Amino acid sequence: MFKNYLKIAWRNITKNKMFFLINVTGLTIGLSASFVIGLIIYYDATFDNFHPDKEKIYRVVSDLTHPKGGFSSSGVTLALKDAIKENPNFEVLANFFIHQPIKVENPEKNTEFSLPSHVVFADQAYFELFQYTFLARNSENPIVQPNSVVLSENRAKQYFPNESMSEIIGKTLVYNDSINTKVTGIVEKLPGRTDFIFEEFISWPTLLQTSIAEKIKQKNWGNTSSASQLFVKVIPNVNLDNIQKQLDQLEKENQDPESIKYGYTRRFKLQPLNDIHLNRKYGGYNLAARQVNKSLLWSLGFVALFLLLLGCVNFINLNTAQATERAKEIGVRKTFGSSKKQLVAQFLGETFLLVLISAVLSFALIKWLLEVFSDFVPQGLEFEMVASPWVIIGMVFLLIAVTFLSGFYPALVLSKYKPIIVLKNNLNFGDKKTNFRKTLIVFQFTIAQIFIIATLVIGKQINYLLTKEMGFKTDAVVSVYAPISARQFSKLELFANKLKSISDIDEVTVASSPPASFSSNIANITRMVDSMETHKDIYVLHGDASYTNVFDINILAGTRRKNNTIQELVLNETAVKEFGFKSPQDAIGEMLDYNGEPIPIVGVMQDFHQSSLRVGIPPMALIGDWTRSMLQNFKLVSMSIFPDENTGLSNAITKIEKAYNEVYPGTEMRLQFMDETVESFYKREQRTSKLLKWATGLSILISCLGLFGLVMYTTNRRVKEIGIRKVLGATVIQINSLICKDFIKLVGLAFLVATPIAYYGAYKWLQGFAFNTGISWWIFLLSGAAMLILALLVVSARTLQAAKSNPVKSLRTE
Amino acid sequence: MTNILLSLNEASRTVNSGSNKVTILDDINLQVKEGEFISLMGPSGSGKSTLLNCIGMLDSFTGGGYTFLGEPVHSMKEKNRSKLYKEYIGFVFQAYHLIDELTVWENIETPLLYKNIKSSERKALVADMLDRFNIVGKKDLFPIQLSGGQQQLVGVARALIGKPRLILADEPTGNLNSKQSTEIMELFSQLNKEGVTIIQATHSEKNASYGSRIINLLDGKIVDE
Repeated sequence: MFKNYLKIAWRNITKNKMFFLINVTGLTIGLSASFVIGLIIYYDATFDNFHPDKEKIYRVVSDLTHPKGGFSSSGVTLALKDAIKENPNFEVLANFFIHQPIKVENPEKNTEFSLPSHVVFADQAYFELFQYTFLARNSENPIVQPNSVVLSENRAKQYFPNESMSEIIGKTLVYNDSINTKVTGIVEKLPGRTDFIFEEFISWPTLLQTSIAEKIKQKNWGNTSSASQLFVKVIPNVNLDNIQKQLDQLEKENQDPESIKYGYTRRFKLQPLNDIHLNRKYGGYNLAARQVNKSLLWSLGFVALFLLLLGCVNFINLNTAQATERAKEIGVRKTFGSSKKQLVAQFLGETFLLVLISAVLSFALIKWLLEVFSDFVPQGLEFEMVASPWVIIGMVFLLIAVTFLSGFYPALVLSKYKPIIVLKNNLNFGDKKTNFRKTLIVFQFTIAQIFIIATLVIGKQINYLLTKEMGFKTDAVVSVYAPISARQFSKLELFANKLKSISDIDEVTVASSPPASFSSNIANITRMVDSMETHKDIYVLHGDASYTNVFDINILAGTRRKNNTIQELVLNETAVKEFGFKSPQDAIGEMLDYNGEPIPIVGVMQDFHQSSLRVGIPPMALIGDWTRSMLQNFKLVSMSIFPDENTGLSNAITKIEKAYNEVYPGTEMRLQFMDETVESFYKREQRTSKLLKWATGLSILISCLGLFGLVMYTTNRRVKEIGIRKVLGATVIQINSLICKDFIKLVGLAFLVATPIAYYGAYKWLQGFAFNTGISWWIFLLSGAAMLILALLVVSARTLQAAKSNPVKSLRTE
Repeated sequence: MTNILLSLNEASRTVNSGSNKVTILDDINLQVKEGEFISLMGPSGSGKSTLLNCIGMLDSFTGGGYTFLGEPVHSMKEKNRSKLYKEYIGFVFQAYHLIDELTVWENIETPLLYKNIKSSERKALVADMLDRFNIVGKKDLFPIQLSGGQQQLVGVARALIGKPRLILADEPTGNLNSKQSTEIMELFSQLNKEGVTIIQATHSEKNASYGSRIINLLDGKIVDE
C-alpha cells in the first residue's frame, strides 16, 4: 500500500513539474530559515545547562534608580556577602571580582604576557558552585591561601609550554610586577556552552595586595560595582519571595541618608543562572561575543515562522486548486473501497514526501546560510550541532508539523469528493474553496507588503541617522588611543607635539574621548542659588583647550578654557537650560559645585549629539584634566586631517603611525575615524535592515511564485473560455485584463490590510529614537505600487501567453 | 431454490432542483436472484445510471426499502455500507475510469489494497487475472497506451479481482467499436455462467440480448419486464 502511494506521489510530482518546483522552493526557503534560526535559538537557550543543581544557582544583581531614570548592574556591593552569610536560605555563597591585570610574567622562563584576559579573583566556594574538573592541584582547596592561582589548561600551556600539568603546580607567576602567586591547580574547560569563560582564578585574599585593596577592605555599603559578582546556591524548596523580602529589608536598614536625600534607590535581585546568557539588562562575562537578547530571538523566530507559513500557503493553494484534476482518481479509489481516512493518509503521505525533499535541500543550505547571516549567528555555533539529539527531534517535529499544516486542508478537500459526482463528470467549482484560496493569497501579500514597508522605513531612518548633523565635525577627524600600558601624560603630550609637526594635520587635541563615543563619564554637579540646590547628572568630557577647534564645536558665549589644567567649565546649551540660566550669556562667570569645589563657567558650547540619535542630547560639561596628579582622564589624541591632495589620506595615516611608533614602540596603534564611530552606533539598525531585506525578498519570491502557480492553473482551466472569447473577437489586452483583474484586486486588498499594521509597527519602532524621520506617506505609496507592479508582471507573464494561443487549437483539444 | 441477492421495495429517488422536486426513480420494485444477468434499457435520462448507482450504493434512494443479502441497506451507516460493497460489488464504467498514473498491473491491484490482502497473495491474484484476460504483456503499460477495448478489459479485470457476487456495468461498451463490444459481452456471459450476478445498463438491443432478463425504464419507472 505504502509503495503504491509513493509511486502515485512520485508520478504526480513528475507530471506537474512547475507546481512541484513552486512548492519545493517555498517550503525549502521556509524550512531553511526555520532550521538556521532554530539552531540559533537552541544554541543560545542551552547555555550553562550542564551544571549540577543549576536551577538552585542564582546571581545577585542590583537594580538602581534615581529620580531621572535607572540602570542595572550585574554586580553588588562587597558588603552584601557578609550581610547574608548567616541566612539559612543559602547553601553556598561564592563571590569573585573581575580585575584586569596589566601583565603577567613567568619569572623562571622570563616570559611576559600583557593584558591576560578573563582573570578573576575568586574564593574557594566558586569551585563548589561550578564543578570544574581539576587536572592537577596541590590540595582540596587550592585557592584558600593568599597568593595562589588556578589556571585553565590553555593558560597553563601558554605560560608554561612543554611542562606537564603536575610540574606546573607550585610554579610562580607574577602579576603587575608586584603580586607573586603560586600555581595551585589546573582545571579543564567547563564541559559545554557557558558564559563562565574565566581562565585564571587568583585567590580572593590576594585582592588585598592590589591597587584596589582599600576598596575591598572598606566594603562600603553604598558602592555598587559590576566587577564584584556574588552567586548563591539556595536550599531545596526555598521560598524566593521571602528571600526578596529579606534582601529589600537589608537594603532599607543600610541605606545611607545621602541617597535617600537625592532619591536614589537600590534593589537586590536573584537572577537565575539560565537567565544570564539571554538577559542583556545585566550582561554576561564574554564581552567579545555577540550580545544576545530575547527580543532579537523573538524577531528571528517570527521571520522564520512567516516564511514557513508562506511556503505552506503556497502548498495549500496549489493543491486545492489542482484538486479537480485528481478528482477522478479519488472517485475510482472510493468506488473500489478506499475509506476517507485512507485517502487523507495518502495525501498527507504525498505532502510529507514533498516536505522531506525540501528538508533535504534546506539541510544542504544550512552551511551557506550560517555564513550569510554570520551577523546573527553566534560565534560558537557550528554546523555539527545539527547532529545533537534535541536538534534532530526538533527537526522531525517541525517536518511533521509542516506536513499537517500544509497537507491537511487539501487532503480534506480532496477526500471529501463524492465518487458519483466525480465519475459523472459534473464537478462544479464551489465558490467557497476559491474564497478560501483568495484569503490565503491576501494573507501572503499582506505579509510581503508589511516587510516591504518595514524595510523602507528602517532604510529611511538609517539614512537619516547617518546623514544627520551630529553638531560637530565628523569627517576627516581621527582619534588615536594611548596603549593601556603606557598612558602617562608626558607621552601623550610628546605624541601630540610630534603630530602637530605633520603638514597634513590641521589641529590636535588631547582628550578623554571624542565628542560622541560609547563611553560616558557622569558627574553630579550642583548649582546653589541662595539656599536652593539644583543637582544635575552631567556628562563630562575631558579635553584640552583646542578640543572645540578640532571638532568644530561653536562657542556660543564666553571663551574656551585657557589651558588643560585650569579649573573651568564649559557647558552645553542643554546644561545651561537645566541649571535654569536664562541665556548662555547669563551663565558666564557663575559658579557651580563640582566634587565639593566651586568652579566657574567660562563658556557655553553649542549642543551636539553625544551618542546615537536613539537618545536625546544630555547636559554636558567640557572640562580639563585638573585631577591629573591623582587620576588622569586624558587617554587619546584627536586630530583633524587635511590630507595632501597628491599623497592622499593613506599617506597621512602612515605619518601618524610613524609618530606613534616613535612614542610607543612595540605596541599596536588603535585609530578610530570619527565617522566610523558614528556609524557603529547603528550596527543594530543595520543588522535589522539586512535581516528585513532578506525576509522581504524571500517573502515576495514565495508569494509571487504562489500567485504564478494559481494564474497558471486558472488559465489552464479557462483555456476554452479564452478560445471562445477570441473567436468572438476579444483582443489579447482585453483577455489579459479580464484575468488579471481578479488577482490584482487581491493584492490591492492585501495592501489595505497591511498598511495599518505596518504603520503601527513603524510608529512603535521609530518611538525608540529621540530623533526620527517620521513616517512619510510616500513610503506606503511606493511599496504599494511596487507590489502591484510586481504582481501585474507575474500575472501577465502567464495570461498573455494564454491569450496569445491559437483558439483553434484550444477549442479542438477541448 | 436460488437465493435472492437484493430486493427493492417501492424504492424512489427525488432531488431538489431549485424549488422543484424532480423524481428520478419512482416506485421501483425489483428482486434480483443470484446468477441473473439483467439488462436495464431505456432512453437517456430514464434513470438507468441512477438506478445502478443506487444499487451500487454510490448513491442512495430517498424513499422505499433496499435489502442486500437480507440486510436493510437504507438504514445502514455509511461505514457499513462501504464495507458491504467493498466485499460484494464490482463496478465497470463506460469511460473505464482507470487511474491514469497507475500501470495496468497497479490498477488491477488497487481494490485489493483496500481489502488488506497480503502482498504475495495480491501478486498471485493479479497474475491470475492478467493471465485469464490475456493481457500479461501489457501489465507495465499505462492506460493511455492502451486501446479502448483493452482499457475496458482492464476495467473488468479490476472489477473482478475482489471476487464480487455482483457486477454493475454502466454502458460498458458505450465507448467501444462493435468487435470490442462483442468481446466484452461474451466475457460477461462467460462470467455469468461461472455464477456472477450482473446488472448492466445499455442502449443496445444486441448487448441486452446477452442477458437473461431485460428491464425497460422510462421516466424513472419500470415499464416493462
